[in-house]
Amino acid sequence: MLIGIDVGGTTTDAVVVDGSKVVKTAYVPTDHDNLLKCLLLALDELVQGIDTGKIERVVLSTTLITNMIAEGKTDPVALVLIPGPGTNPRDYALGESIILDGAIDFRGKEIDRLKESQIKEAGASIRAQGLSRVAVVGKFCQRNHAHELKVCEILAAALPGAKIELGHKVSGQLNFPRRAATTMLTAATKDSYERFAKDVAAALKERNISAPVYILKADGGTLPLDKSVQMPVETIFSGPAASIMGVLALTEPGQSCVVVDIGGTTTDLALILSGKPLLSAKGARVGSLLTQVRAFAVKSVAIGGDSAVAVSSQGCDPDSESCAPGTKSCCGSLTVGPHRDGSPLCMGGNGPTPTDALRVLGLTQIGDAAKAEKAMQIVAQSLGCTAREAAQKVVDAVVDKIVFEVNEMFREWEQEPAYRIWEILKKEKLSAQSVVGVGGGAPPLVPLVAARLGAAAIVPEYAPVANAIGAAVARPTLTLNLHIDTEKGEFSVAEDGLMGRVTDQKMTPEDAERLARRLLAERAARLGIGEYAGEAEVTYSEVFNMIRGWSTVGRLMDVRMEIPAGLLPSWGRC
Amino acid sequence: MSSQCKTGLIFFPAFDWAISPTHPEREERLLYTRDQIFEEGLMDLPQIEEYKPRLAEEKDVARAHFCVPDVGSQVTEAHLIAAGSTLTLADALEKGEIRNGFALVRPPGHHSMRVVHGNRGFCNINNMAILVEYLRTKYGHKRIAVIDTDVHHGDGTQDIFWHDPDVLCLSFHQDGHTLYPGSGFVNEMGGPQALARTLNVPLPPGTTDEGIHYVLDNLILPILDEFKPDLILNSAGQDNHYTDPLANMRFSANGYARLNEKLAPDLCVLEGGYAVETALPYVNTGIIQAMAGLDYSHVKEPDYVPGRFVQTEGMVREIEHTVAQVQNIWEQRDELTKDALESLGDFYRRKRRVFYDTDMINENQEEVVRLCPDCAGYMTINTSAQRGYGILNSAFCVSIPRKACSSCRDDAKEEYAEHVDDKRIGYVLMQDKDKDKFKFYNNMTRTERGY
Repeated sequence: MLIGIDVGGTTTDAVVVDGSKVVKTAYVPTDHDNLLKCLLLALDELVQGIDTGKIERVVLSTTLITNMIAEGKTDPVALVLIPGPGTNPRDYALGESIILDGAIDFRGKEIDRLKESQIKEAGASIRAQGLSRVAVVGKFCQRNHAHELKVCEILAAALPGAKIELGHKVSGQLNFPRRAATTMLTAATKDSYERFAKDVAAALKERNISAPVYILKADGGTLPLDKSVQMPVETIFSGPAASIMGVLALTEPGQSCVVVDIGGTTTDLALILSGKPLLSAKGARVGSLLTQVRAFAVKSVAIGGDSAVAVSSQGCDPDSESCAPGTKSCCGSLTVGPHRDGSPLCMGGNGPTPTDALRVLGLTQIGDAAKAEKAMQIVAQSLGCTAREAAQKVVDAVVDKIVFEVNEMFREWEQEPAYRIWEILKKEKLSAQSVVGVGGGAPPLVPLVAARLGAAAIVPEYAPVANAIGAAVARPTLTLNLHIDTEKGEFSVAEDGLMGRVTDQKMTPEDAERLARRLLAERAARLGIGEYAGEAEVTYSEVFNMIRGWSTVGRLMDVRMEIPAGLLPSWGRC
Repeated sequence: MSSQCKTGLIFFPAFDWAISPTHPEREERLLYTRDQIFEEGLMDLPQIEEYKPRLAEEKDVARAHFCVPDVGSQVTEAHLIAAGSTLTLADALEKGEIRNGFALVRPPGHHSMRVVHGNRGFCNINNMAILVEYLRTKYGHKRIAVIDTDVHHGDGTQDIFWHDPDVLCLSFHQDGHTLYPGSGFVNEMGGPQALARTLNVPLPPGTTDEGIHYVLDNLILPILDEFKPDLILNSAGQDNHYTDPLANMRFSANGYARLNEKLAPDLCVLEGGYAVETALPYVNTGIIQAMAGLDYSHVKEPDYVPGRFVQTEGMVREIEHTVAQVQNIWEQRDELTKDALESLGDFYRRKRRVFYDTDMINENQEEVVRLCPDCAGYMTINTSAQRGYGILNSAFCVSIPRKACSSCRDDAKEEYAEHVDDKRIGYVLMQDKDKDKFKFYNNMTRTERGY
């Protein structure tokens, strides 16, 4: 039996899955001040009458880190940058930072030395500020770790007990400002996350649950809880990831579909293309920071069942920018959202909402029919039409907005830059075969959105707990970026800062892939997910001959291997 | 950040295209530039918008070139993507999505002339010329200035706009006595109807930031003020750099960035530059930052110190002298044109040989332009070219200008008809810029294709 628990924004959902059957579900309201408590409440309710000895795995997805960051409750961090030549580091929106001299270039060559006295001064100033967490990030540090390690050594001596995170251990992808942001967030959330992980482990032990505990990451993969403390930021946005994995579990394999999660005030949209959830191209945006966290591309649209419906008394200018498709429905100057004035009128609230409109049109049975009618009459009066017509306009506005945003997502995916001829020639055009609804607001609206997109509407039986099912049956993911420079005789692994020697100057791409596969297996074993290493595939491979003069002096090779997001083999899709 | 403040960027390094494995124009050329600009995170900055390249259509190429026997046999997909990238940015600029743009693409184009039999100076088709013709046809721009900042003379672009008084082609470069393609002297100044709309500024080897900025401040910027172009385009070669292996100048990354800040081009198109590790990552970063209005003062080659290169007194005087000469030509442009037209009859002819160094092709051509009082005059080019001892390819090309008068249009059509089925010539090509229609006739198979 597998357990999946998603601590979401409003409710905490939990399921027990046995093989491909959902055995039991449970949910409790989420208490943002005590995530652990509601997690355990849901768990206790769930395992009542269940033999805990038969539990094989527990997977959690939690808003802990997302909330901490959103609410500004992260720990203060001193950011130390070694930017070298290039962009003025002040042009990056990274906030306060200490800038050090020293530089590494794209080949990993030292082009400017560190200044020891300057680093010591930095240590003194961090101490003076009373900070005990430091993020040290150098440009091209993934190609040569020496500067970050040296700075760490000096700062550690100057700041006893301080916790220092190094950029090259956090991410090896090219993008210095994103790496800096990700490293800073890692330092800022690690302690709280570690406490949470310890508490969870202790609570499960108390309940005699000895099954391994995993956490769900933003890329839909699971990772053992005890290993995940090294990379707390990876767990942001695990809620949407859980929903998407749930849709993957509850629909036909290989499909291209739009995942629509309609909530009270926001609608989350995601794409599954030919059976693979679309990842955001360079990494997730976390608040105002761009990071390198691998995450599904999720678009949050400020519209939902509780969005306030308003009719402006002013005449509408159809050419004005505010009437652009998707931003507002302007025919008759009707607006839906983005804010919420309270519950729908039919459910005891004050003002008209899309839920009232759906009630009037008979598309939902939620709430009081007479109150819904009253809500739509308010709208109708301003528009000069019947309540039913007004309801239709409100629903059209919501559907318009969602359809517009879905089309934008496809357009953005098609317009993603490409750097090779074959990528530009090959990129196929995809459209949604189905629109899959999850979350509470989905059932009445999904068929309307699907009809507009010419796709089938699917609201799976377990749609309300798709997130928990997704968590329960998701398998681990893992990425490994290997960079080889045969002229220097070196290789480096971006993800864990591992470096080593290569002796074969004439290394072939096949040799490089073999090396990547071996390193990935070792890394998987270190992270406690060794049994999945066989699932890894090469997702990117490039080889450049380095020519100096007219002869080849070496090769630069890059291989990316991934265990992509997927489902446990025990889950036979329904 | 509003779109009017954004700089559009297309990065197309063509990582799967090379002239040959060890050729300077190979896959690796923009690899370190990729590493640098990706690591800088430039594409994430709110000032920069990255676009996906598209393929140019064959018609876009035919607007600028006579490809013999046709466009398809002279280009690969890489060429169409490089050219198409410039058009994507042109569209974004015209739609107001961006305020300026940089097509950081390869393969380059500025040595490709009007007639194309093969690859010259690493170039098959002229991205910049295709862009100019597109801007004029699709968006109706009249006056465009092309400033060629590559170390090599932009002889292809010069050839294509030689007779066009509305396109100012100004190239500064290392003196043709000392560098490929061996042209670009002060006395090359355009056809009789467009004298001084082609301007060349040959510079002595070793010219530094100081010298190039002297040319910019004292010649280029004042001329642009007077020419008042709708758009300024930069053929942005990066081989004036002090580490370039194929040339001998001493320009720095900071110098390049400052040049783009002052020139403020609407669009930049990458040309050459072969110091793949020591120059390109820094020069490209600097140009992008300058165009985006970002601080570029932190861009510095590892071995560069300000004041590292100093011009000799002789070089300074030589540059000043050249600038004065070109300034003089520019000031006399109206008289020069008037005198030239008075001394010529109804037609202007020039015969010449063109050598394609990359493909070892020798071309002979005779170009005839009608000096028409009512329009720009139609043009014919009789061309034959041989690759080594291989087959001789010949073509007769006819070009009808924009806003052609009816007499030029009729005569041009007659010229085309006369050469169709003439067995002495392989192909007959028609470029009707006025109607934006293009025809290719094969005299051997007696078939016609067109766009």
